Amino acid sequence: MSYRPPAAYGALMADVSQILITAEDIEQRVDEIAERVSADYADRNPILIGVLKGVVPFMADLLRMITIPVEVDFMAVSSYSPEARDQGVVRLVKDLEMPITGRHVLFVEDVIDTGLTLSYVLRTLRAREPATLEVCVLFNKPKRRLIDVPLKYKGFDLPDKLVVGWGLDYRERYRNLPLVGLLKPGVFQNDVEA
Amino acid sequence: MTDLTDPEGSQPSFAHPTEEAFARILDYYGIEWEYEPRTFVLERDDNGNIAAGFSPDFYLPMQDLYVELTTRRPNLVTSKNRKVRRLQELYPDVNIKLFKRRDIRDLMIKYGLDQHAEPILGTEAQEEP
Repeated sequence: MSYRPPAAYGALMADVSQILITAEDIEQRVDEIAERVSADYADRNPILIGVLKGVVPFMADLLRMITIPVEVDFMAVSSYSPEARDQGVVRLVKDLEMPITGRHVLFVEDVIDTGLTLSYVLRTLRAREPATLEVCVLFNKPKRRLIDVPLKYKGFDLPDKLVVGWGLDYRERYRNLPLVGLLKPGVFQNDVEA
Repeated sequence: MTDLTDPEGSQPSFAHPTEEAFARILDYYGIEWEYEPRTFVLERDDNGNIAAGFSPDFYLPMQDLYVELTTRRPNLVTSKNRKVRRLQELYPDVNIKLFKRRDIRDLMIKYGLDQHAEPILGTEAQEEP
């Protein structure tokens, strides 16, 4: 797939201090992961499950590059915020449409940082008794991990910095950047101090 | 883990607002935690009395992980680093993770807790790796 050059994303790139991973690097790595998934899950008709919204670019790429029959479904989970906290605990805001009991499930995630969201999602999925449940993540931020989760497929380790692009957002922006870049500190400093 | 239906009076007395914010995040995601449940002896004097101890802020029993939070500026965090290193030397089976100022700042920004992020902005902000 061809992507527009980073310079075409002028307003968004103005907030990026450094490109950490290019579209070409990501494409190549996703292709390698897809090849392994295709081999490991041959004749198992797996379901790929992702949590909206950050996973969308990775899921789309991975799906296109997997060469065996697969199904796909999405869920959405409430994120922590001062407002959400007042409403109680984490919850599904969109559930799966397919039953997964007895199925081979590959949970696909864009980024794993503390592991808090992933831990909740995996608990929820395990309760539905899939035949197998594995994790495939494109970006891994291991330094701040609180909940250790085995990762069967992993794309890249990222530094413990605020990074954006390829689905990764800062306050819902930058997900469409065809790269992973370091967010300039002035961006969030201005927001926080506002 | 704190029962969210409990009256607020049942919360531990946190030493720092950031610790309370961290505890609330753990509660939200259903992660069991204990606050400063154990003091590790790091040094004893000639009479066998405790000369130096270390009580990590949180213990996550299901993960068997201690978590220490520090909002000190990087140039003042040396003593905390030393304590963590000493703990790991003396208790090699104990898992501990030190969340430094920038880690906490990023966590607070991620969860929209600007009032907790604002006081710890501006240090080692996003230097390039």
